Amino acid sequence: MTTADEALSREIERGMTRQDILRRAAALGIVVAGGTFGPLTEAAFASTKIKRGGTFRQAVFGGAGDFIDGQHIVAKSDIVRNVVGFEGLAYFDEKGVIKLSLAEELKAEKANQYLIRVRDGIEFHNGKTLTIDDVIYSIKRTKNPKLKLFGNAAFGAIDLKRIKKLDKRTCRLFLSRNDVTLKEAFAQYYQGVVPVGYAPNSFIKGPLKHIGTGPFKVKSFTPGRESVHEKNENYWRSGQPYFDQVRIINFPSDAAKVNALLAGQIEAMSDVPFAQVPVVKGRSNLRILVSPTGAWTPLCMRVDVAPFNDVRVRRAFRLLINRPQVVQQGLSGAGRIGNDIYSPFDPAYAGDEFPQRAYDPEQARSLLKQAGQEGLTVELASTAWDTGMNEGATIFAQNAKAGGVNVNLRILDGTAFNDQYLKWPFSADYWGTRNYLLQAASGVLKTAPFNETHWDQYSGYNRFESLYRQALGTVEEKKRAQIIKEMQRMEYNDGGLIIWGFKNLTDGYSAKVSGYKVDRGTLNLNKYGNGFRTIYFV
Amino acid sequence: MTGFIIRRLLLGLVTLWITSLIIFAATQALPGDAARSILGRSATPESLAALRQQLGLDKSVFTQYWEWISGVLTGDMGASLVNSLPVTEVLSDRLVYSLFLMLLAAAISVPLGIYLGAASARRRDSAFDQTTSVATLGLAALPEFVVGITLVVVFATNVFTWLPGVAVTEPGVGPWHYPKQLILPVAVLVIAVVPYTARIMRASTVEILESDFVEMARLKGLPEQRVLWRHAVPNALAPTFQVTALNLAYLAGGIVVVEAVFNYPGVGLLLVDSVRSRDMPVVQAIALLIAALYVVLNLLADVATILVSPRLRTSLE
Repeated sequence: MTTADEALSREIERGMTRQDILRRAAALGIVVAGGTFGPLTEAAFASTKIKRGGTFRQAVFGGAGDFIDGQHIVAKSDIVRNVVGFEGLAYFDEKGVIKLSLAEELKAEKANQYLIRVRDGIEFHNGKTLTIDDVIYSIKRTKNPKLKLFGNAAFGAIDLKRIKKLDKRTCRLFLSRNDVTLKEAFAQYYQGVVPVGYAPNSFIKGPLKHIGTGPFKVKSFTPGRESVHEKNENYWRSGQPYFDQVRIINFPSDAAKVNALLAGQIEAMSDVPFAQVPVVKGRSNLRILVSPTGAWTPLCMRVDVAPFNDVRVRRAFRLLINRPQVVQQGLSGAGRIGNDIYSPFDPAYAGDEFPQRAYDPEQARSLLKQAGQEGLTVELASTAWDTGMNEGATIFAQNAKAGGVNVNLRILDGTAFNDQYLKWPFSADYWGTRNYLLQAASGVLKTAPFNETHWDQYSGYNRFESLYRQALGTVEEKKRAQIIKEMQRMEYNDGGLIIWGFKNLTDGYSAKVSGYKVDRGTLNLNKYGNGFRTIYFV
Repeated sequence: MTGFIIRRLLLGLVTLWITSLIIFAATQALPGDAARSILGRSATPESLAALRQQLGLDKSVFTQYWEWISGVLTGDMGASLVNSLPVTEVLSDRLVYSLFLMLLAAAISVPLGIYLGAASARRRDSAFDQTTSVATLGLAALPEFVVGITLVVVFATNVFTWLPGVAVTEPGVGPWHYPKQLILPVAVLVIAVVPYTARIMRASTVEILESDFVEMARLKGLPEQRVLWRHAVPNALAPTFQVTALNLAYLAGGIVVVEAVFNYPGVGLLLVDSVRSRDMPVVQAIALLIAALYVVLNLLADVATILVSPRLRTSLE
């Protein structure tokens, strides 16, 4: 997006017509080919009157444990309060393409060497100017083993001792091993840049807490109830944000959020329960935003404990779920079926090249018989961390009966489930949209923080990991895709994940608000209107 | 009388202490702890151990209980485990909200219940009595969340959109600033309490209306209204006081459900939230508070019963 585009879109907000804009563009020396302006200008034409100002109210499901941190999240409420006030070096746009944010330059000079330069003149909420020291501090804080921040694992390759500061705005990173995924890691929403000295020992409290560079700054925060964020008058993207204030309000359940939306007490909510979607759609003053994402809620079998240490049992279980039924009934059709491979938007995704697994209780029965596991009884643990977990688990439990498997379903409260998380032999989990190598680093590698299936205990794991290393060092994309496909084949044949499908995000908002776009990313509501800066009242 | 109150207060303290033991044991039995809930999915054994040590969760159950109870005895309720704010600070704002909701509900439901009961007794077996009887029985059978959700569907979201379906309030602003948001939560609590009060009031008034002294009053030629309100009702109040006190105490628990349905930011909602995040100091404080309310209300009801019952009054003197 060019500055000219932004300038023109602002003129439209002031009430200029297309003719006026053409004249204005000519005066500014902008060549308009075929009367087509930049995307912002066209968007401004489309909605003609953007109303500046106002208070935007966002509902979240949170609790007393809510916190605000630029580099860490636990619950969805923490995500919303992260994106409203913090920004990273780069971000994913709606189509999943990496765009620069605070960085002016962010590139791999080699597979083990990166150059970072930040933009000039960006200010933190406390008035301090952003420099490369803040970026280096942010990387060090993320990598602090005591803090265990969310993005910790993805920065594993950065060698802290060899970060070289070149000037006030530039540094060079040297990696201890090749890693072509680092740019992606920097674009994750939880890799916010924080000022030097920012809460070094805790993600709950500490000096400079809540200070970021984002479009809104924290005015007040009452954990478990709400936070109020006011417009950052010195925000660096010209013209943004539009609202004067954003209130992020906690609700105890999805039902309460819907009631608030229907009664006009909030402007937007994430995750409208499927049963309520027709009700919201039926209101002329409300809108539903459906985003087909790469989010998934797998059932995870531990490859190192009985009965799942027998690959025949794993294969049988992957045949014991009626995938179209889960999408239709569990998600009310808001999704599409999967083939036990994650990262559907990765250019190297091969899930649609392998034969699609279908519900086949007969074959499952015979596989179980071969494995000597007829009349098997297993326990399946799940919780309502995310839509799709309990739904998938429940339908699996019904489907599995036809294959002679008796499933004891245990649906637990979040903390109780978490108490045995990653230890359950068979359980549900949830993931967002990520490309394959980063997802592998988060969920299946030996060093992965969320290795649900204990894939590193699988007999062919060494080969899997060496393929991973090889892919990380392969800059050429076609070659890398070949290696990644080989990794996917191993997971498709022998893995412990049952990936029955990918979900759409279904969010609701008031027709008084505009600017949301359909987004492939992990976060709801077009990344909450890109931290509430690209949405506005009309 | 003073001796009686002191004795009851001491007994009340013992009750509270036992309650604290039960609550503590129950919370220990829940799987997962505050460290788990704070660290969420990304918890590692090391980070859990470090946080547990920081929060004092690694100490023995007895030490934890002792530290907590000795704090309470010296007026220190401790701090929330999950956001480290002092419990008193977390509670104070919420307490105002809950008490206001309860008082409002009590101020409407008690007189309404007494009136409905007495009036039904007076017109026994009339259409009014029958209607009241069926209505109160029906409503008494409905759990609060059903009443709450029904009211929301009818008055806030699906049928009419007259009233807000949930409370959206600002911290530090008193509940009286949101009169419209109070209507539905108060209505649910009133509907929960009135049937019991009305039915017990009706039963005791009917009994009194058949007694000799009422017969005597009627024979004296007093108008029926005066017989009812001056002679019968005061004598029928004693059992009603008991039931009302129990119901008010019940309100203290009932608000948990009502607050969760309406997102009303009182102690009930906080309790649900704190149990979910295993925030034990807050759970304990709220449980003790509700238990204390039970004790005090029961005591008040007994005192009131004694005051309106001459026989009991004189026996104590």
